[in-house]
Amino acid sequence: MTFALPWALVGLVLAGIPILLHLLARREPPTVLFPATRYLANAAKEHQRRLRLQHLLLLLIRTLLVVALVLAAAGPSWPTAGLGAHAPTALVLIVDNSLSSGVIRGGEPALNAMREAARHVLRRAEPEDRLWLVDADLAPIAGDRTKLLGRIDSMVPSIRRLDLGVAVALGREILSSGDQPGEITLVSDLQRTAISGAAISTPMVVLRPADEPAANGGLSSLTLGSQPWGPDGGTVGLTVAGRGDAARPVTVTAGGRAPRQLLVRAGGQGSTRIVGLAPGWGQVGAVLDPDELRADDARRVAVRVSPPAPTSWRNEDRFLATAAEVLRQNGRIVAGTEVSLGSLGSGASIVMPPADLATLGALNRALAAKGSRWRFGDLDLTPTATDSGPWLGRHRVVRRHRLVFQGGAPTDVLVTIGGEPWAVRSGRILLLGSRLDPEWTTLPLAAGFLPFVDGLVNRGARGDLAYLAAAPGDRILLPDRVTEVGSGPERWTVEGGAPFRPLQAGVYFLLAGRDTVGTLSVNPDPRESDLTRATDAEITGLWSRARVADLSQAAATAFRAGARSDLRGPLLWLAVALGLVEILLASGRRKRA
Amino acid sequence: MNASARARLDLLDPTEVARLGGIEVVTEGIVEGFLTGLHRSPRRGFSVEFAEHRAYQPGDEVRYIDWKLLARNDRLYVKQFEEETNLRAMIVADISKSMGWSGDPAARLTKLEYVKRLIAAICLVLLRQRDATGLITFDDEVRAVTPPRARMGHWHQLLGVLHRTEAGQKTAADSALRLVIDQLRRRGLVIFVSDLLLDRELTIKALRFLHHRGHQVLVLHVMDPSEITLGGPAEARFEDPETGEAVTVRPADWASVYSKTVEGVVHDWRVACRRHRIFYERITTDTPFGLALRQALVRSTHVA
Repeated sequence: MTFALPWALVGLVLAGIPILLHLLARREPPTVLFPATRYLANAAKEHQRRLRLQHLLLLLIRTLLVVALVLAAAGPSWPTAGLGAHAPTALVLIVDNSLSSGVIRGGEPALNAMREAARHVLRRAEPEDRLWLVDADLAPIAGDRTKLLGRIDSMVPSIRRLDLGVAVALGREILSSGDQPGEITLVSDLQRTAISGAAISTPMVVLRPADEPAANGGLSSLTLGSQPWGPDGGTVGLTVAGRGDAARPVTVTAGGRAPRQLLVRAGGQGSTRIVGLAPGWGQVGAVLDPDELRADDARRVAVRVSPPAPTSWRNEDRFLATAAEVLRQNGRIVAGTEVSLGSLGSGASIVMPPADLATLGALNRALAAKGSRWRFGDLDLTPTATDSGPWLGRHRVVRRHRLVFQGGAPTDVLVTIGGEPWAVRSGRILLLGSRLDPEWTTLPLAAGFLPFVDGLVNRGARGDLAYLAAAPGDRILLPDRVTEVGSGPERWTVEGGAPFRPLQAGVYFLLAGRDTVGTLSVNPDPRESDLTRATDAEITGLWSRARVADLSQAAATAFRAGARSDLRGPLLWLAVALGLVEILLASGRRKRA
Repeated sequence: MNASARARLDLLDPTEVARLGGIEVVTEGIVEGFLTGLHRSPRRGFSVEFAEHRAYQPGDEVRYIDWKLLARNDRLYVKQFEEETNLRAMIVADISKSMGWSGDPAARLTKLEYVKRLIAAICLVLLRQRDATGLITFDDEVRAVTPPRARMGHWHQLLGVLHRTEAGQKTAADSALRLVIDQLRRRGLVIFVSDLLLDRELTIKALRFLHHRGHQVLVLHVMDPSEITLGGPAEARFEDPETGEAVTVRPADWASVYSKTVEGVVHDWRVACRRHRIFYERITTDTPFGLALRQALVRSTHVA
């Protein structure tokens, strides 16, 4: 119920007057000597209850009379359902054309039924109404009925996920700017994974299909493990979402290699190893056998296959040399000069502190000359341990040089000890705080030593590449050095550090000038694969002012906020009726008196 | 008191009449007015045994005028017969505390003051007819007993008793009514004047006993108009001056119910009296004395 003059409701305090008078009248009455009191007592014994009821009835009628008059003065109106005319209304129509709306039901996408319901809603719109259409892109489109009907006609299932709570909040924000009665109509398949809380103060109608949702399966993940892959390839992992015990065939493709077939049970995981890919950038894809919802049956990610890094090392760095030899024998590195392991070289370098402290100053000067913003500092002999992180686990360190950053806030810290940098990068130069020697740290004796050295050479020194993943429509923060994003023939120029919003699924390459510095693999949000529908109770629990109805009731439930009946007339008639009853009762009393 | 006022005091408002003078004076006025208004004497003797003459009173039947005396003395006398003086009347008056109440003291007499004047008038009428008249006053016990006498001077004695009478305490009529047995040895007339705020069963039992003893019994139920129609402030605590019983009500709400209850009480008294051949009359304190007298004495005449 809404009021034209809400401030008039202050008058409701007047409703307390009859009660107040009643209470005041109950104060200690005067005593009157009356010989015939016995007659009065006899009469009271017989009629006390009836008169008390009559009193209460009069009190109630008088209170209701005041309430009815005050409410009538406030100009109340009540929303009414139906196909009749309605007052000018601001309507936000949210049509959930998210990925799940593409599920085939009865030979056509489920979106078709939702579009039809949306048409019914829009056909009830009047020229005075203000209309907005919101779809999975979350870009409100304002327009008249004709324009929005056109939009509905051209609407197709999106690849994106739509968070319905966000859409509803957007609708509320749109309506908050207007002075017309507002209403939100949400047409959706109401996936349980899509709903989220949103505070709404306007009337809301939620229209959902009446039939049961399909049992859908989809690829919910496709992972390639640690990248870049070496010449020996890598492992592809995938997860199939859905329910049921039957194993489903998945086809995995990579570069020009022959497709591989996997059988993965719904809700289970599978993996396969891909070898023999040519060095460079490529793509790995996985496709599930088709079901009612096709859009979530395929995923694609970018893969980087690197050639072995040409590396040099010194034999006096005994443990480092041993590790390099093992890596060379395994094809991870080859002998060469691109990367200098253990000391400062002409190209990329992984630099340890010198064994002879006397040469530290010269090393720092050489680092500065190479443009490194990091240098070695004081020697710290306090036993400690590295902090566990993506590059390295926890290892004991007994000797280390503090690493000092020259100016500004330190950047590119790879490994820390108690929060202080221990392994850092400045351009193509990596500095380690300790020598890789058991006298300095236990790391050379640990199993993680070899992968650490591999990572330093192939990822750290040769440049760290970004392997990003997102869903369509997500806002992605790109690495600072990215200047352009490309997907097939399309190119988007971006500012370093600016968010990028891919709208379609696929593989996007992140470019810095002529270099490819990373990839962005965009695949459907796995939450779209679960078509389980939220119950009506869940909906009304989240959105308290929502009314849930079938798609078929679209026309009948639309514009409920504007379809209002003026309650002033009925209230005034009620007041008149109450007044008449009051007069009858009171005059009856007076007559009897 | 001018002549016209004296002529029809019986029809004036009782309060106005009371303001005109003492009981004695106004009672004579009332009775004169009353008798003037009657077309015939309230008492109609038919015995053949002549007893005495008395001066003609307006209302006396013309056939009892002694025409011979008129011719000789040019004065009107009526003949009195033996049987007419044989009636003995005893008035039993309730003077309890409730009788000393008036619903509107500024405009109406208390029930007791009204009854005093009414009894005085009844006594005067009876005594003028040579009826022996006595008076018993009572509240919760007998307060005064004046045996019946037929002499006119007895009226002043009765007036003296009435002058001294004040409202008493509670009410219990049975002892006073039993006392009537001693006072009226022969069959006679008993006039019981009360507001009847007492135990009905006991009272009826005593009155019935008097009737069984051959007495004609007349009950004059005196009520203040405010006892018939409930009024007062918006809400009041009504307290019985005799018993202290109290009820808090809103008169506007209870007036109707109360009136019905009072009508029921009056009806019950009337029915109970009729069942035992006891005459019952209800008189309110705003009834002119003449009308009240008529109600009382027409009954007694009929009895006679």
